[in-house]
Amino acid sequence: MNALAAEFSKLKRSLSWAVVVLLPIVLVATGLIMTLIDGRGLEDGWHTLWMRSIVFYGLFPLSVGIAILASLVWRAEHRGSNWNALMAGPTPSLQIIIAKAAVISVLAAIMQVIAVVTTVALGMIGFGLPGFLPPEYLAISLLIILASVPVAVLQSWLSMQMRSFAAPVAVAFLGAGFSAFLLVVGLDAAIFISPYAALSRATQLGTATFADTGDITAGVIAAIIAACLLLSTLLAAANTVVLERADART
Amino acid sequence: MSFIVESSNLTKAYGGRTVVDGLDLRIPEGSVYGFLGPNGSGKSTTMKMLLSLIRPTGGEVEVLGQPMNRSTRRQLLGSIGSLIESPPGYAHLTGAENMRIVQRLLGLDDAQVDFAVKTVRMHGQMGKRVREYSLGMKQRLGIAMALARQPKLLILDEPTNGLDPAGIEEIRELLRRLADGGVTVMVSSHLLGEVDKTATVLGILSQGRMIFQGTRADLFSAATPDLLIDCSDPRRAQSMLARAHGARLEDTTVRLAGVDSDEATAGVVTGLVAEGIGVHGVRRDEQTLESVFMGLTAGGGL
Ligand SMILES: Nc1ncnc2c1ncn2[C@@H]1O[C@H](COP(=O)(O)OP(=O)(O)O)[C@@H](O)[C@H]1O
Ligand SMILES: [Mg+2]
Repeated sequence: MNALAAEFSKLKRSLSWAVVVLLPIVLVATGLIMTLIDGRGLEDGWHTLWMRSIVFYGLFPLSVGIAILASLVWRAEHRGSNWNALMAGPTPSLQIIIAKAAVISVLAAIMQVIAVVTTVALGMIGFGLPGFLPPEYLAISLLIILASVPVAVLQSWLSMQMRSFAAPVAVAFLGAGFSAFLLVVGLDAAIFISPYAALSRATQLGTATFADTGDITAGVIAAIIAACLLLSTLLAAANTVVLERADART
Repeated sequence: MSFIVESSNLTKAYGGRTVVDGLDLRIPEGSVYGFLGPNGSGKSTTMKMLLSLIRPTGGEVEVLGQPMNRSTRRQLLGSIGSLIESPPGYAHLTGAENMRIVQRLLGLDDAQVDFAVKTVRMHGQMGKRVREYSLGMKQRLGIAMALARQPKLLILDEPTNGLDPAGIEEIRELLRRLADGGVTVMVSSHLLGEVDKTATVLGILSQGRMIFQGTRADLFSAATPDLLIDCSDPRRAQSMLARAHGARLEDTTVRLAGVDSDEATAGVVTGLVAEGIGVHGVRRDEQTLESVFMGLTAGGGL
């Protein structure tokens, strides 16, 4: 797809790369430093480490990070008449929307890889844990990457519509916070309504924290995958319909 | 004559305020169409409707012989280059990187991009980031981005805005070359002088209405230049004619507006002579297109 290649060219010299690298490192480290300050050890080794880093990160910082990436990707579009120029070209609206969401999703995926690498490095070097991160967490990371997609689609839409940097990030913060609350009170079905909930739920998989039972069942995995596909498709379709009807605003 | 752009009763209202009002645009194929009007008269809004960037409140647009609307726009926009309000360009990327984005989006080959860049004479500046460009360079890059697709129609919204005289002349010359190459150009400006010499057809907009559309020659013949009278007692002549013709005194010359026929002119002279005023000069003011334009846009039109 041509639009996709064009979108990736726009990432050159972009501030997004700094966010992609720094945000997960800082947040994972923060989660663990808080553990040390509390004086609680890693009672359950790698599992505790994963909970304090990735699960903490998945509660809201991850969604906020994706929101920041979306705002950065869209900021260039809202400057001057770039958006007008794109809308005055032959690229179909759906392609534009998919290309934007894909770029944000890829950045989010790289962010997840860096978060996992940071966790492993801190576990082995910082805490001297024996062995390696249990392999199921690598598989769960793939699921987290997939679950980032609906959040990327939603945040891309919000950043397109709001033309503001901070407002969509605030929406992500509130949305993720509220979704985390829904999961805590056991409303598991929230993952089919809120992309933030689907993403948080994926990070909790196998940890017996919040909404999770600790068992990684095929049913739970299927539900998360279904929720991600459903939400991504619906949001991208709705965004396309809105874009096709709306007036350009610059 | 075939028209590359035709609109009928094209209208746009924002919250009950009509900003473009019933335009019947006719842009002949191969012309340079100068779209003139003061700031806020609706030029950009009209151009956005031609590109389907915004949807008309009423009326229709045909471009390249096909209706332009939300279901046809993507297919038509491949043959239309445009630059609306300010030049596009990603500031953190170089000129070359910006052109590569256009190339990828539109599936163009290197030759098309090179040609567009050379046409606007930017080939020496492509390694620089757009944020380091002057306004003139940004305008030229914007035009190159619009040109690379080898459009049949080029829609440029105030491309000379903010340029120095040399930059303006360069854009003018570029438009002339493009028109010679067979591209139809629609170019807007709030300053007549900027498109005057390049445009073959003019459309003049005032408060959202088209007050004139036609060639330069049509425009001159549509407006009546003032009558200038030199006589033995200009003061008395001025007060005599003040009521009927809004006569004003300029040095010793009496200026009359709206005297639009030979009979009326003769009548004025007879009247002065009957009052014992000797008339030794009767002539028409020398009219610039500028004064016609100002008269039209200030007075509300033909
Ligand atoms: N999105 C909008 N909402 C409300 N009014 C608008 C909008 N866009 C333009 N206008 C109004 O429409 C009028 C024409 O604007 P515009 O087409 O930009 O004029 P021009 O390009 O000739 O300077 C102006 O009074 C402007 O304020
Ligand atoms: Mg304008």
